[in-house]
Amino acid sequence: MIRYISKRFLRAFITLFIILSVVFILVRQMPVEGYFPNYDKMSKAQIENGIRQLGLDQPMYVQLFRFFRDLLSGDLGISRVYRNNVAVTEILAPKIPLSLQLGSLALLVSLLAGLPMGVLMARHKGRFFDHLGTVFIVFIQAVPAAVYYLFIQLYGTEWMHIKMLFDASDWKSWILPVFSMSLGNIAYYAMWVRRYMVDELNKDYVQLARIKGLKSSKIMFRHVFRNAFVPMAQYLPTSFLNTVIGSIYIESLYSIPGMGGLLVDVIKRQDNAMVQAIVLLFATVGIIGLILGDLMMVILDPRISFGTKAGNR
Amino acid sequence: MKKLIALALCLCMVFAMTACQTTTSPSASTEPGAQPTGGSESPEAVETTGANALGDSDAMVYSSLYASEVSSLNYLIEGATNEQTVGANVIDTLVEYNSTAELVPGLAETWKCSEDGLTWTFHLRQGVMWYDYQGNPVAELTANDFVSAAKYVCDPANESATDYMILDLIAGASDYYDQVSAYYETLEEGAEMDDDASGADFGTVGIKAVDDYTLQYTTVDVYPFFPSCLTYVCYMPAYGPLLDELGQDFGTSNDKMYYCGAYILTEYEPQVKRTYEKNYQNWDADNVYITKLAQTYNAESSTLAPAMVLRGEIDYADIPTSMVDEWLQSYPEYLSKDRAVPDYSYFYCFNFRAGSGSPDRISTWEANGWEPANWDLAVSNANFRHAIMSAFDRDYSMYALEPDADARADVTQHTITPSTFTSVDGVDYSALPEFDNVDQYFYDEAKAAEYKAAAVEELTAMGVTLPVKMVISYRSDDSDWEQESILLKQQLESVLGTDFIVCELYGGPADGFRVEVRHNGMYGFMRCNWGADYEDPSTWAQPFAVDDSVRDSDGAVECNSYNDMDIALTVESDLTPILEAYYAKVDEAKAISDTAQRYSAFAQAEAMLIENAIVVPYFIFPSSYVATKLNIFEGQYAPCGVSNLRYKGQKVHDSYITMDEYEAAYDQWLVDMGTN
Amino acid sequence: MAIFKHHAKIEALEKSLNESLSTALSEEEQFQFAEFDEAEVERSGYSNYSYWRSTLKMFSKNRIAMFLLVLMGALVVFTFIQPYLPGQIDYFQVNNDSTTGMPLRNVPPGDVVELTDGTQFRFILGSNNIGQDLWANIWAGTRTSLFIGVAVALVEATLGILVGVLWGYVRKLDFIFTELYNILDNIPTTIVLILVAYILQPSIGTLIFAMSLTGWIGMARFIRNQIIIIRDRDYNLASRCLGTPTYRVIFKNLLPYLISVIMLRMALSIPANIGYEVFITYIGLGLPATTASLGNLINVGRSLMLSPALRYQLIYPTIVLSIITISFYTIGNAFSDAADPKNHR
Repeated sequence: MIRYISKRFLRAFITLFIILSVVFILVRQMPVEGYFPNYDKMSKAQIENGIRQLGLDQPMYVQLFRFFRDLLSGDLGISRVYRNNVAVTEILAPKIPLSLQLGSLALLVSLLAGLPMGVLMARHKGRFFDHLGTVFIVFIQAVPAAVYYLFIQLYGTEWMHIKMLFDASDWKSWILPVFSMSLGNIAYYAMWVRRYMVDELNKDYVQLARIKGLKSSKIMFRHVFRNAFVPMAQYLPTSFLNTVIGSIYIESLYSIPGMGGLLVDVIKRQDNAMVQAIVLLFATVGIIGLILGDLMMVILDPRISFGTKAGNR
Repeated sequence: MKKLIALALCLCMVFAMTACQTTTSPSASTEPGAQPTGGSESPEAVETTGANALGDSDAMVYSSLYASEVSSLNYLIEGATNEQTVGANVIDTLVEYNSTAELVPGLAETWKCSEDGLTWTFHLRQGVMWYDYQGNPVAELTANDFVSAAKYVCDPANESATDYMILDLIAGASDYYDQVSAYYETLEEGAEMDDDASGADFGTVGIKAVDDYTLQYTTVDVYPFFPSCLTYVCYMPAYGPLLDELGQDFGTSNDKMYYCGAYILTEYEPQVKRTYEKNYQNWDADNVYITKLAQTYNAESSTLAPAMVLRGEIDYADIPTSMVDEWLQSYPEYLSKDRAVPDYSYFYCFNFRAGSGSPDRISTWEANGWEPANWDLAVSNANFRHAIMSAFDRDYSMYALEPDADARADVTQHTITPSTFTSVDGVDYSALPEFDNVDQYFYDEAKAAEYKAAAVEELTAMGVTLPVKMVISYRSDDSDWEQESILLKQQLESVLGTDFIVCELYGGPADGFRVEVRHNGMYGFMRCNWGADYEDPSTWAQPFAVDDSVRDSDGAVECNSYNDMDIALTVESDLTPILEAYYAKVDEAKAISDTAQRYSAFAQAEAMLIENAIVVPYFIFPSSYVATKLNIFEGQYAPCGVSNLRYKGQKVHDSYITMDEYEAAYDQWLVDMGTN
Repeated sequence: MAIFKHHAKIEALEKSLNESLSTALSEEEQFQFAEFDEAEVERSGYSNYSYWRSTLKMFSKNRIAMFLLVLMGALVVFTFIQPYLPGQIDYFQVNNDSTTGMPLRNVPPGDVVELTDGTQFRFILGSNNIGQDLWANIWAGTRTSLFIGVAVALVEATLGILVGVLWGYVRKLDFIFTELYNILDNIPTTIVLILVAYILQPSIGTLIFAMSLTGWIGMARFIRNQIIIIRDRDYNLASRCLGTPTYRVIFKNLLPYLISVIMLRMALSIPANIGYEVFITYIGLGLPATTASLGNLINVGRSLMLSPALRYQLIYPTIVLSIITISFYTIGNAFSDAADPKNHR
């Protein structure tokens, strides 16, 4: 088991290294103006000075080497455009916790609402609950989030008699953003659970359990639900990451100073140091998420063992 | 066993996530920038010391949203209006404008100019203090702080975007700059850049502190308008010891600068909020009415702000033109306008070198089917340009920005220098006789047909393929501008016919538009703008100035000047004599110190650009529709610089300004302006 | 956004195909002599079962799916013929008021207005604030968005099959592709999408490229796994021994097994891609606003949502987008049910 995990982590490091190198080279293909907030009003001498100072006149492999050297010593670089001359770590520090809180709350809500909903729909297959749930799922998938988020904010705040913008110290103002963020995943989990449970209900072991005289609710939760949950658990960490990245709409609407819109923002402003740092962060979370997901699957499902390559599922 | 592990892992995950919440939230709120508790406590602490500049902050609060964050607070280097708004409100200048555009004493109580017109001496107000972001006094403001700030601006390492205002005007400044710059080039890469080590002596620059309260500027030439320059950001003071200590970190956050202006930036959390509080110790605090400016970041503010105004959550919102009709009907009590200010002029420019001659960009043009070589040929032809200028119905394309016909007529300009910018002997600059001829070149479909006929003949002879592809560029995130371009395209094509011209629309990137599109020559015919830096017509010649320093010898151009009209000089064409004559005229005008003659010469030069259809004057930006509780006419007003960005003098009214109130205030203001 | 990536349906269908392919027989069973039985020979010698006929039959039983399929077909056809129908205005054209000569502003849906050329024109779905016809814009936008969606789905399928087949069939390539997969699959799709959309100039081609960049991986992975399972089956071994060329083995013996999953993936990929277009437009990296697309229309409409009188500019494009999404989603699901051999009776 330890060998397997260490192998996975080694692989993860190599992957991270490659992703970062590719992104590093990619962002360096962009015009140098990204390094200077005042580029359009600077003289040529100023620009040349700046480029030399930043080491941009060096060959790519030297730049790449320096980047990784700095990275290993914990230096993510300095933002040049997004916030002139401020260390990237200093910018990210207050944003990460907030995104984590919102993301995990949203994930929690979507699990707490999505799973029971799926179970209910499966139990009432073809009846009212099932249809109602289907309408909800279809609606969430069909209408662009950009549209219904705005509706929720406008009418939700009016209905709740609260301010339109987010205020971390007022618990009421957390409700709508978290709710909005979890909607997509609620639909997704409900759909997933329903589908698997409906499939599993026809299986022989369920028939056997019925014949054995087990209570239907016990069959549902002890046997069927667990089997349905296993493959989904694998994607939970990834889905958490997607929730955070996908929170860009919510963050811009409610003025939440999180990570969601940051990547888009710094890419558009060509702040290379920030782009790299955020890609590093997201890629790391993504990769660790995949490993975690595989581990969870191995642990939850007795049929899968560490010996087999997790890729061959 | 596995069950247990599974359960444990699941729980771990959930707890880990919820735990982040409990463990991290206190740390989030103890961030130095955040400190909601510290912010509310400090005013109380102040009362006891008595010297603290912050007072009761509930008296008059003005709250608003903003969608674009400043990249730094460093007013000495930032070049964009958004960033300069901070400096304008937290730092005072030597002189300032009042609400009717008169220069009045600021940090300087008196000033005078020497006989030869080259040396300006300012006597500073005594007892003005620097305060930190918590309102605690730090040190007294002296003349040395102006010298330190200027030295900072003139250090190439600081990459100031506004340094040209000092380098061009102050004796010895550009020499000093070049010396330091040359020294930096000898440095090893990564070595620390210290201007003091360069051996260049800032004492040779014409900015001197004679004593603590006397400041002396020596200019390159006679500039009667010089005091108006001093309201610009690069002439603002900064506490010298702090500049030395922080260097490039100066102004990166609100605790990394000191304040001497009407407001103190007590809170600055990028992309969260900014809070300005009134400085009660300011020398002119009696004229500062709003006690707190609460600005909240919201990326969707253009969508949300109108709704928040209606719910009374904020005091200001821009109302997009597409919604004006509905607001006029449903919420007339909320709707008024912003003042149209002649500090920025908009004009359409032709680009004379596709892709500014760079092979890479020319191939982009070709890939887009824009026929760059054909364009370069066509645009050098006078009749072609005149055909476009006279076919261009400015009123029609302006409709995208301003649906009201009267308002459109008010802002339309027939000169690059906007009307009411300056006047000589009671005659407005734009009404000088030198401009009598320009009107005949504007919109006239009959003339357009004549020019077109002449152009077709000449262009065919030159080997130009018709129709000519003309690229109209705009910034892709500016939907009004985009619609304006659509109207322009359709209108030009319908007057001139698609057998003569086909307009290609190009939406440039929202960020770095100026470099990507204007400097890189990614346009054929485009709306450009320029803001006045000081009160003299020469400021309006600046966007067209020749910029030799940035031309590469091989003709490929890394362009850096504001508008690249001079690029036309890199290749011999019909334009060459016209432009040479223009530049000669500008140089001649710059050397004249008699105001009437100087203005006349500048007007002649400007008229050459218009009469040769090189630049098509357009408008000063139509005043946008707003919902606001401020009466804009109570604030400082100037046709140049950053005075219009100041909140000093303005009051938050109990209700929103209505259109009637706005009109009345506007009329009153015009009367007041007339009486000076 | 990521909803479609690991879709339950796809998982289920893949699983069921896997099961049907990899039934493990015990040693005993494999080597047991079977008794000769005339009747059994007769029975197993002939079957009129056809996989595709059964699939189609099952699918056509689902009335809603059939209706939506017909609707989508009609919609696609209509987007192409709409500009050529009589009485249509080009979507880009600015229409002027006949009295003022200035552009029309926000004409409400259904209003009849006299244009400068003297014709009376009915704005079925109204106009925007410079008099562009929303009806024509929506159809032009649907055309663009559907084109992007279908193009990306096709690229993904082609690339996915190609790589998947190579990956599974050529043993030497397995290591390289597996490592490549491990890297590519680890990068969040959104990041790739944003980066590529930004670095390249915004255009339809760019968007298709950016979206196709990641989507094929899942497909390739699936094809590879299937091929590894099937390639050494006895009948394939036999085919190879008889000298059947590799491509023929792949096309005749392998791919038909996989076609249902491929089609399901494509059907679900189309609405997902249209959704991505809306997302990219929202973050400001989308198509130039002069190109009509559903993303652009919705983005413009969003800013007017607060004003009830102008809300129609948001609602109509959203309805069209929703119908397209629901249709593809329903059709895809119905198809996957129909394509599952277990449901063939």
